[in-house]
Amino acid sequence: MTHNEYKPFLAEIKDVIKHTDKEYTFRLTYEGAVKPGQFFEVSIPKYGEAPISVCGINDGTVDLTIRRVGKVTNEIFAHRAGDRLFLRGPYGNGFDVGSYKNKELVIVAGGTGFSPVRGVVEYFARHTQDIKGLTLIVGFKTPADILFREDFAVWKDKMQLILTVDQAEEGSSYQVGLVTDYIPKLSLKNAETAEAIVVGPPVMIHFTTLALLKAGFREENIWVSMERKMCCGIGKCGHCKVNDTYICLDGPVFNFTKSRELID
Amino acid sequence: MDTNTKLLKKNAFRVTKVRGVTASRVRVPGGHLKAEYLSLLQNIAETYGNGTVHITNRQGFEIPGIAFANMPAVNELLQPIIEGLGINQQESGKGYSAAGTRNVVACVGNRVCPFACYDTTAFAQRIEKAIFPNDLHFKIALTGCPNDCAKVRMHDFGIMGMTEPQYNKDRCVNCGACVKACERKSVGILSEVNYKVERYADKCIGCGECVLACPVGAWTRGEQKLYRLTLLGRSGKKNPRLGEDFIKWVDEDSIIKIILNTYGYVQQYIDPNAPGGKEHIGYIVDRTGFEEFKKWALKDVQLPETAEVYTPVYWKGVKY
Amino acid sequence: MGFFLAKDGVNAVLERWRDDYLIYAPVRMAGGGPYSDTDSIQYGQIHRVEEIVYDQKSRYSFKEILLPLSQTLFFFTEDQIKEAEELKKGAIIFLRSCDLHAVKRLDQVYLQNGFEDYYYQRLRKRVKFVLMGCQKAFENCFCVDMQTNIIDTYDASLEENGDGYVMDNHCAEWESLLSKYSLRQLDVRPSHVTETNVHVEIPPGVSIDVAKSKMWDEYDGRCINCGRCNFVCPTCTCFTMQDIFYTDNGKVGERRRVAASCMVDGYTDVAGGGSYRKKNGERMRFKVLHKVYDFKKRFGYHMCVGCGRCDDICPEYISFSHCINKLGSAVKEVDGNDA
Ligand SMILES: Cc1cc2nc3c(=O)[nH]c(=O)nc-3n(C[C@H](O)[C@H](O)[C@H](O)COP(=O)(O)OP(=O)(O)OC[C@H]3O[C@@H](n4cnc5c(N)ncnc54)[C@H](O)[C@@H]3O)c2cc1C
Ligand code: HEM
Ligand code: HEM
Ligand code: SF4
Ligand code: SF4
Ligand code: SF4
Ligand code: SF4
Ligand code: SF4
Ligand code: FES
Repeated sequence: MTHNEYKPFLAEIKDVIKHTDKEYTFRLTYEGAVKPGQFFEVSIPKYGEAPISVCGINDGTVDLTIRRVGKVTNEIFAHRAGDRLFLRGPYGNGFDVGSYKNKELVIVAGGTGFSPVRGVVEYFARHTQDIKGLTLIVGFKTPADILFREDFAVWKDKMQLILTVDQAEEGSSYQVGLVTDYIPKLSLKNAETAEAIVVGPPVMIHFTTLALLKAGFREENIWVSMERKMCCGIGKCGHCKVNDTYICLDGPVFNFTKSRELID
Repeated sequence: MDTNTKLLKKNAFRVTKVRGVTASRVRVPGGHLKAEYLSLLQNIAETYGNGTVHITNRQGFEIPGIAFANMPAVNELLQPIIEGLGINQQESGKGYSAAGTRNVVACVGNRVCPFACYDTTAFAQRIEKAIFPNDLHFKIALTGCPNDCAKVRMHDFGIMGMTEPQYNKDRCVNCGACVKACERKSVGILSEVNYKVERYADKCIGCGECVLACPVGAWTRGEQKLYRLTLLGRSGKKNPRLGEDFIKWVDEDSIIKIILNTYGYVQQYIDPNAPGGKEHIGYIVDRTGFEEFKKWALKDVQLPETAEVYTPVYWKGVKY
Repeated sequence: MGFFLAKDGVNAVLERWRDDYLIYAPVRMAGGGPYSDTDSIQYGQIHRVEEIVYDQKSRYSFKEILLPLSQTLFFFTEDQIKEAEELKKGAIIFLRSCDLHAVKRLDQVYLQNGFEDYYYQRLRKRVKFVLMGCQKAFENCFCVDMQTNIIDTYDASLEENGDGYVMDNHCAEWESLLSKYSLRQLDVRPSHVTETNVHVEIPPGVSIDVAKSKMWDEYDGRCINCGRCNFVCPTCTCFTMQDIFYTDNGKVGERRRVAASCMVDGYTDVAGGGSYRKKNGERMRFKVLHKVYDFKKRFGYHMCVGCGRCDDICPEYISFSHCINKLGSAVKEVDGNDA
């Protein structure tokens, strides 16, 4: 008998971390194997399902950072520690942390787009010896939108951390500007062999990859994580398909040599 | 020249502005006819008329320029048309036996038009069979759908096709096409509830736009042929006005019965001094009151369960 | 084994089949067409062979049986998730060669390409197919060019022949039943067409670069993104998930999936108001390339089976086959751009 992959399982909320009014991280019990960049379908019967990236992987739990935007996410936000949510997954390929070992790695992320790649940063923050050099450029709209402040406080000594905001009041301590402004200023030993990960909205991905190529990165060393509408997560519903590629099955993480072929 | 103009008119000829010259009026119930009759009309016009034909407002033909003396010959030539169009006739070869009850007009209907809810010509012919010949002045028009291309509200009896949309929720994929169609082209009474569609049936005008819009056939047309019947619109002198709704979701048999009943009512109440024995029914109803008309019209009519009778009915219009 | 059966014989066989199966075939839905006094040929359950419509193509395909337009997956109570039950019986589906080829496409997506789909497979494994031989092609068919005009993976075939019916049987468990109700055995080869009115030529050099061609622009204005072309297509597999609370009892509800179309608004909407392929021409390109280019790139054969239903139904008279035939010059056009 085929397993009913659509049937979700229960996961207990261990903790809810509130970043802003609209963005919370839910820490949920999960025992199985999971990689950063993969996603779960968070399922609330009678409301619906929403694909949410794995943002952190801990012993016996996973963190999902969720932005409240509509029907399902509103309902998720009504849940508290001790409540239970339904999940199915994890789905998608995720990042292969091993492929960045002993290399220089630059990660560029925008807003909640940071979620899928946070697990990669966390891994190398814990295993600094495994990486030759790690630069993290994260952009938010305004200082009020900044997520993961505690993380950045811990990480700032373990990597080169550039935190930027699009706008801020004058005299604030934040760096103001787009993430792309910082790419030409990167101090890398060898851009030709360095790897880069870009996550965020489509426009941001577009301009960031252009800047990286200009800075000397090789196409095959650039990785992006993509989002599309998804109704199944398992290659059936068709919504995520771009040409012959199913983002849910073949992605959401793609090498740039592939993603640049994905014309909607 | 001695000619009884009363008889001439009854025989569907006209007194024209030229002395001794008449025009023959050819009725085409439902406005749709075999093309072969056109060459017969041509022949009459070229043989006895002045070689022209007027296409009338009520979907007939008027062949002008005929000398009074040639009326019998024209009637002979009209015979195949009268027979072919199935016009009731008292005596073969003698032309039409009345003209008071006008040609029954119809839009092109579902023989051609995708919006039409029924075969307008066929229903028009059925009505013609039931009411003609008759000297009373009755104007009846049929239109396929609530677009009312035939402008039936300008007639004594306006018959407008309706479709009672049937919804199969198991086929609906919530694409929203019907909701949008009803909103943009009709009365906007469909709404999405729980990713399916709900119809506020009381306000539905049965236009069928939802059926036409649905890409998966979740909406289909109701099996029963149903109509809106409008009453006593008229143009002309004194008080031109649009016909008002009388019954919604009514069936063919009831409509025919109501029209026939109205002949009885008019005979009873028509002004005996009416010029030419003709009076718009609306003026009679203004005199007797609507309730009296309704009593006559609905006598022995078995309305279907779907029917909704509007009462009382008020008319507006321009008063001079 | 092949059989010759009288009409009564076929009906007796159908009668016996109905013990274990629901039998679906194209039938005439009187008054079921969109215009008044028009019928619709579409799939429905049959009891007798006379109900099967052979001389016209069905407007919607057999797909609706394997992948219902609207299918409940779960029922939810306050604290329970209950799987929707499966049909008590299996199904026998009467269909033509192109449609039986389409089954392979549905299987490809629903049984492979990631996890096996639980709901599809539990019905699929209880379905048998009876091939309706085609004596002549209908308007808009182009099965010959798509190489879907012949097939032998049916469980049985059935078509009229002289004063009775001929059936080729591949299903061992039906053998004795058919021997019993047939008049005699004979060699039966189901009819198939070898020529169609419509021809298509899919040029070899197609790539995603044809997206840059101007050929798609005309569809921006012509197509009304109604999705009919997808909903009638036997090979379109897309769906959208929906969760609801029942209006009469807000504590219970269900999760269902409904057929989706990549031509219809909303198909790509994502949080934050974003969407992809806003223009109808882009959607047309996405659909056409899925049918005759990128499905093949992924799975090794074309998705489109040439049934022509999309051409039959388009209210704007947009012909899919005509569009395919424009790909050749589009390929040249974009090659020229690069040079
Ligand atoms: C691979 C992937 C990873 C994601 N990771 C995260 C994450 O880590 N954190 C996060 O906050 N959000 C993430 N999202 C986005 C998140 O899935 C949507 O915000 C969520 O589905 C909206 O659901 P809703 O019911 O609250 O909103 P709705 O009320 O349903 O709709 C709001 C908007 O979201 C769109 N939408 C609905 N369903 C989906 C869907 N399944 N996929 C995409 N858009 C949809 C709707 O079309 C609408 O425009 C991810 C999406 C994908 C595809
Ligand atoms: C503010 C006070 C009133 C308002 C707004 C009001 C409004 C209306 C309206 C809208 C109608 C329907 C007219 C139609 O059918 O087209 C109506 C009908 C009627 N009203 Fe009033 N009304 C009011 C006071 C009264 C009073 C005080 C009386 C009697 C003492 C009255 C007696 C009637 C009657 C008998 C009818 C029915 C007429 C018919 O049969 O058509 N109304 N009213
Ligand atoms: C503020 C006070 C009132 C308001 C707003 C009001 C409103 C209305 C309305 C809207 C209707 C029409 C219903 C329809 O469309 O059929 C109506 C009908 C009527 N009203 Fe009033 N009304 C008021 C006071 C009164 C009073 C005081 C009387 C009687 C003393 C009255 C008697 C009637 C009657 C008899 C009808 C007609 C019912 C019918 O159609 O048969 N109304 N009223
Ligand atoms: S028949 Fe016309 S008025 Fe009635 S629901 Fe359909 S579109 Fe709306
Ligand atoms: S048009 Fe048809 S499928 Fe679309 S919402 Fe209306 S009934 Fe449902
Ligand atoms: S191509 Fe035709 S059938 Fe398909 S969406 Fe466009 S208008 Fe509708
Ligand atoms: S794309 Fe058109 S011709 Fe091809 S299988 Fe689908 S409906 Fe048939
Ligand atoms: S053509 Fe469109 S609707 Fe059909 S399967 Fe492909 S993506 Fe889905
Ligand atoms: S999310 Fe359904 S196919 Fe990718």
